[in-house]
Amino acid sequence: MFRAQPMFRVELLCLASEAQEMALLLARHGGFGPAALGETGNGGRPGEHYRELFLEASARLDKIMEYCGQDDLAPIRDDAIAPSEPELAGINQRLQAIWQACSGCHELELRMAEEKQRLATLRETYQRLSALDVDPARLLRRDGLLDTRLGQIPALNLKRLGDALSVAGYLLTVFDRTGDQAFVVVAGPRSGDGRAANRLGGLLAQAGWRDLAVPPELRTDPTVAGQVIDAENQRLETLAESQCDLRQQHWQQHAAWLRQARLSLTLARPLAESALLGLRGKGQLAVFSGWVPKRAVGALRSALEVRFHGRDLLLAREPGPDDAGKVPSLLTYPVWLRPFTGLVRSYGVPRYGEFDPALLFAFSYVLLFGAMFGDVGHGAVLLMAALLLRGRFAWLGWIGSAAGLASICFGLLYGSVFGYEDWIAPLWQSPLHDPARMLALAVASGVGFISVTLLINTYNRLSARHWADALLDGGGLMGLVLYLAALSGLRGALAGEGFGTTNGLVVSATLVAIAVRLVLKTEGSMGERLVVALVESMETAINLFANTLSFLRVAAFSLNHVALALAVFTIAAGLTTTGHGIAIVLGNLVILVLEGGIVAIQALRLMYYEGFSRFFAGDGVEFRPLSLAVNNNLGVKT
Amino acid sequence: MRNTYLNTRVTLFKSRLWPQAQVSALIDADDDELPGLLEQRGLKLLASGYVDDDPRSLEARIVAILLDETRILLRPLTGAARQLLLYWIERFEVSNVKSLIRAKMAGETVSATAARLLDLGDFARLDAEALMRAEDVTELLRRLEHTAYAEIVRNARQAFEDSHDPFILDATLDRAYYDGLIRRARALEPELRAGIEPLLAGLIDRINLVWLLRYRFNYGLPPAQVYYLLLAPGYQLTPERLRILVGKEDVAAVLAALPDALVRVLAGVDAIPEVAARLEQANLNHARTLLDRAGHPLARALAYLALRESGLRDVRAVLRGRRLALPVDDIRLAVGA
Repeated sequence: MFRAQPMFRVELLCLASEAQEMALLLARHGGFGPAALGETGNGGRPGEHYRELFLEASARLDKIMEYCGQDDLAPIRDDAIAPSEPELAGINQRLQAIWQACSGCHELELRMAEEKQRLATLRETYQRLSALDVDPARLLRRDGLLDTRLGQIPALNLKRLGDALSVAGYLLTVFDRTGDQAFVVVAGPRSGDGRAANRLGGLLAQAGWRDLAVPPELRTDPTVAGQVIDAENQRLETLAESQCDLRQQHWQQHAAWLRQARLSLTLARPLAESALLGLRGKGQLAVFSGWVPKRAVGALRSALEVRFHGRDLLLAREPGPDDAGKVPSLLTYPVWLRPFTGLVRSYGVPRYGEFDPALLFAFSYVLLFGAMFGDVGHGAVLLMAALLLRGRFAWLGWIGSAAGLASICFGLLYGSVFGYEDWIAPLWQSPLHDPARMLALAVASGVGFISVTLLINTYNRLSARHWADALLDGGGLMGLVLYLAALSGLRGALAGEGFGTTNGLVVSATLVAIAVRLVLKTEGSMGERLVVALVESMETAINLFANTLSFLRVAAFSLNHVALALAVFTIAAGLTTTGHGIAIVLGNLVILVLEGGIVAIQALRLMYYEGFSRFFAGDGVEFRPLSLAVNNNLGVKT
Repeated sequence: MRNTYLNTRVTLFKSRLWPQAQVSALIDADDDELPGLLEQRGLKLLASGYVDDDPRSLEARIVAILLDETRILLRPLTGAARQLLLYWIERFEVSNVKSLIRAKMAGETVSATAARLLDLGDFARLDAEALMRAEDVTELLRRLEHTAYAEIVRNARQAFEDSHDPFILDATLDRAYYDGLIRRARALEPELRAGIEPLLAGLIDRINLVWLLRYRFNYGLPPAQVYYLLLAPGYQLTPERLRILVGKEDVAAVLAALPDALVRVLAGVDAIPEVAARLEQANLNHARTLLDRAGHPLARALAYLALRESGLRDVRAVLRGRRLALPVDDIRLAVGA
């Protein structure tokens, strides 16, 4: 629970001709995570082309399925085999042909959608145009003296286009705007020898120009514009219907084959995934390399024996110093802890061998929440609400329940029920009874928490064999000694006993040690290293104390809770019986939602910034075994 | 405190710049001295890979160095200043977008396309893998319209569909990028804006003049279209001046109609590549002056990055020239040493 599962580095040799079967077996076994280990070897990367084909085919299949609105996958039989490279190439080729047919329709659909949107805005524009005392058809006549065009452009390009047109002696006039589009008339002298087009070149296209077709009858009969648009709309509708038919036809025509192709690609995925990192060639052999959990090695050997009858060689060993930073982390948790791990993962994955903060997080988070939001009534409401959460929020229900219980426990200690402090006797004291004591306790808890994080960081670095970092870094043992000595000195100073010579000497010595370590560690010129050492060692010291003071918020929020309840009671006291009741209920609701939410975020903030940032880099690699399910091990961002 | 940190950082970084004498030494050095010289000047990344045959690898290493240094300079920055520096780095991703489009036009394979792209690490905002798998340019542009670069590619798709001209596409993308830069610079507080304005003015005027000359006389575009493609508003090259310049009939007439300050910079120059080189040199001199005096740290950071990039490109030119066994004089000419 505190560390990732022990892993074995494995190399698995098999005949190159059986690589697909081997990859499929590993995926079905579910305990092999491919990883690049060592040199590529003379045979290069045998699955590279296979992977390329797979990626291309998968991308095409996904687009086709999305276009056809289909997303079903037939169940995979146990004896199903992966496609060979020529088979995969054939699938890819056919998918390309299908997608080319589909994409033509898809593009047409997109254009039709754009066109329909344009027509919608045009209707209004034509009505305004018909009201102008101008005959647009005459204006646009080719034999006129003016080269006139009607069109629409993105309003953003208006100014620039107007300026550019004036260079060619043209004028631009806006006669309507709808949304981000402007409807404009562009007019300039017609030169008769066709040079007008040359004067503008591709200017209009570059400005996003779209011609506005003006029906000749527009001037004489304003209703004609509506008719023209209706006809165009009708044409588009018919076209859209035929496109839908075409989409349906595509699906019906290829459905059975596409389903089979999808199955084949699912079976091809393990080899394609392995080819990215963990597969290389050695003569007629293929070598799979990667990681297997120590406890799963035996089961893998048995499965290989059953399928390959000795035509394979499995080499497994514990990770060595060269593997530092490369070993993936396989983290397993008891059911009750799992909901909290999502919040830890959102920060990062612990490195292999590093302390896994999930349990510490769960415990501290719940404790901090309870301390800041201690109230029996509010805790009980939170608990009940959390127990009612279902479906995709079920995981949150468990965290909410734990937080609610903690809130009830602290409520009993503070003697608070819905803000009333006279309903039950406190087991300890109300926060407002002795605020100074609360603040001191909050700081003390911060000191404890930060000391623990520094110790964990020292442990992590020792595990990684970074001896100097563990002992001399500001985040390691030296930082802890500096922190405790400075705190001891400050405590003495506040008590009127002075900082203390020993404390002063220890603080100075540790600061110097940290700075020297930074000078040696930093790359760059001596000047640069000295500046970095000076700034960062000071920053280390300042941060330790700033982080400690951050814990004052624990006391502040517990006081705030009482203060908010008092505010609600004061408002309610000025109201009549019904108003009093409503004010109390609404006030408590506000406290629950607003303060509860803020406290939940503040507790998370304390964990992330004051805790995790000190010892948890979160840059570990999650163990992702080969699987027949889509788990995106292909180096493709989604 | 943040300004002091950035200023100190920039001052320390200054020692990484390559003076001309050092570039000359690199040209004259023996083969076995070269890695040592590169490492001495903090270019360990290039020292280990300069014998690499793949020129993209050299480019990738240079970009990696620039990104690493930018990451450090970004640390103390917040708000609009941080956005501006981040946007400055987005040039490399816009270059990736152009590479993707060219590769798609040429029908290149995914692996060949991937080899063309620069690895931007944490700075990458595009899902290049998915974009590479678009079937054609139209699909690629449609996908890009759903990314952080929608603003830049918004007009590009229609321009491309109307003309099918890769040049028009490139020009539209470039203009959209630099428009974004001007907009972000304008969003800075007045004091900050004043700090970077001289640097930005040099850059925008150079781009405008070089584009104007190329579009007008190399590609033969009409004045109105050229004017549309230029960045507005310019600095010394005001919109009014640009209107006059785009109407000129040849390079000499354009150069003669420039403002006095630019005429002085371009004295004796009559070819477009020379104009580009001379203006770039003038901008670098200006950046050097800005870096040496106590200006705003953001301006100094930008000046440093411009000089650093130029220096690294000089080093790259030397390394590639040596690799191709070009005559020493030609290499000197290429880097202006």
